[in-house]
Amino acid sequence: MSHLFNRAALALCCAGWLAATGPALAEETKPEAKPVKLTTTADHTKFKQLQKTFNSGPEVTKACLECHTEAAGQIHRTKHWKWEYLNPDTKQTLGKKTVVNNFCISIASNYASCTSCHVGYGWKDASFDFKSEENVDCLACHDTTGNYKKPPGFAGNPVVKDTEFPPGSGKIIKGIDLAKIAQRVGKTSRDTCGACHFNGGGGDGVKHGDMDTSLAAPTKEVDVHMDAEGLDFTCGTCHSASSHDVAGSRYTPTAKDDKGARIRGKADKGNPATCVACHDNAPHKKEARLNQHATKIACQTCHIPTYARGGVATKMTWDWSTAGKRDAEGKHIVKKDAKGRIIYESRKGDFTLAENVKPEYAWFNGRVDYTLVTDKIEKSEQRTPINRMGGSATDGKSMIWPMKVFRGSQPYDPVNKTLVTPHTAGNDDTGYWKNLDWDKAITVGMKDSGHPYSGKMEFLKTEMSWPITHMVAPKEKALGCVECHSKQSRLAGIQGIYIPVRDNNRLLDTIGWAVVFLTILGVLAHGALRIVSARRQL
Amino acid sequence: MKFTKTLSAAALLSLFATSALAYDADWKRGRVYYRSVCTSCHAVQPGGTINPSTKTKAEWATYLKADKHAKGKDTVKQYVSKAYRASIKSGNKAAEKFADTPDQELMDDIAAFLTKGAKDGDAPATCN
Repeated sequence: MSHLFNRAALALCCAGWLAATGPALAEETKPEAKPVKLTTTADHTKFKQLQKTFNSGPEVTKACLECHTEAAGQIHRTKHWKWEYLNPDTKQTLGKKTVVNNFCISIASNYASCTSCHVGYGWKDASFDFKSEENVDCLACHDTTGNYKKPPGFAGNPVVKDTEFPPGSGKIIKGIDLAKIAQRVGKTSRDTCGACHFNGGGGDGVKHGDMDTSLAAPTKEVDVHMDAEGLDFTCGTCHSASSHDVAGSRYTPTAKDDKGARIRGKADKGNPATCVACHDNAPHKKEARLNQHATKIACQTCHIPTYARGGVATKMTWDWSTAGKRDAEGKHIVKKDAKGRIIYESRKGDFTLAENVKPEYAWFNGRVDYTLVTDKIEKSEQRTPINRMGGSATDGKSMIWPMKVFRGSQPYDPVNKTLVTPHTAGNDDTGYWKNLDWDKAITVGMKDSGHPYSGKMEFLKTEMSWPITHMVAPKEKALGCVECHSKQSRLAGIQGIYIPVRDNNRLLDTIGWAVVFLTILGVLAHGALRIVSARRQL
Repeated sequence: MKFTKTLSAAALLSLFATSALAYDADWKRGRVYYRSVCTSCHAVQPGGTINPSTKTKAEWATYLKADKHAKGKDTVKQYVSKAYRASIKSGNKAAEKFADTPDQELMDDIAAFLTKGAKDGDAPATCN
């Protein structure tokens, strides 16, 4: 009986299996029916090198390099790896390794936190080996699972086992399975680029204003190109890469692209990440007059009416001078606004945030001069520009650009007259975010960046400009004429150009209209006299 | 004992067959469909929207397996079907974009997004 039952059970299971696989097995006889992935030429789950347990990022990279032998060397040549860039125009050495900003200020002495956004593993101090191939992080850009994470504080390393961090805090960071992620690598995406670029400045949307997590899967209203239901551009669609070097730069932006649309086969060393690279220099087919505007006005000026449009607020100001307060029990303070957004933290100071922000506008020719930690600054009531955007109405290279201008107050050495690089992040006695002691933090930070610190500190008012270029709105939402051609013009601060209506003069207008009126009157009178005299002659 | 062995072998065989045919779900496509179709409709319903992070992975798995939408008035699968997508595609870009995607693939994509975006998932997600 039991024998019969076993047979029956086996027969049922086999029948089920055949029912499930039968059609597939039958189709396997036809070559065209073979299941094939269309988004990649290699199914990485099939590679033996990736079918193992990985205990660290470099172990994964070693496996990657067995096939992709040149990849690490290519990465070594890029800004994403070096965090250093020599601006050929200004001769300034820039890059995250060098520049100072008015958000989290500087990476010096804060490597273990900041380098969670480095395309490498293990950059914990200035001794990092930039020649190491296995320290290149392939997964940061090629993860498709969305599960790859490099938490701040681990020097760019992923966490592979559940770990309490900071130690003693009771907060557990879940370990990730690197093999699963490595077996599903693919092209870069908005999610991979956005993991860092959406979160610049220390959080979602903080820095740029035109880049935040709403762009991971945006609607057309938020970005007409990246619209997840429509064109679905990835970052790489515009910022195309060559030998792992990604086009487009914040240090040497292309303010005016007069090279026209890029055409296949045509040698072109220009920037592929401009509007013109696809839309050409005369993109308005129905309203040709708008093409005249496009000779002086960046496309972004009209087509990005506001930024931070995706429901994520961007920081507009950051006042470090109010940091350091404690509550009655001596604990750190955190204050939030009605929407639950942090507006004050003891470790950072006061913030203001905003959504749907109208940009400020400026002539911009692509030249950007940075105020570096080596530059002398005379303190005054005027804000010190962290970056000076070059441009004027008359240089022939400038366009009117929309900008996010981020204003703040940050630590400054009044004796050496320089900006300073405080040690902020870190679970140690000198980290400002732990102990709220500026003197300790600046002393350690300046020692790390290799610059003198007098021991005295004040706060300096600064501002930093960020050209706006993402969150392009549907054309129906582009700016109308009156946004600029009115007395309340958005371009009120733009000098050196005549803008009708904004710049009209009542007396001149009266004289002009009087001339027009008299001319019409003269023509009518002349015509009438001609008719009358012609009738008389009859 | 023999019976157990037989069944185990058969189960393994079935499991192998299933995994050989397994579709590699695209959580990003699931994200777009969930937010553009499910959420856009739920947003105007009395119950409002449902963030993926409001349920655990197990709760989502149970919900999808039960396949009961609106407390059993209809099915979840119905709202992922080609027929449903065809009926709303004139006013819904996601439905139009994924009009030809096989039902089960899209269902798997949504399940992958919900698993990832669940309360205890790798990246708890909202509707936006």
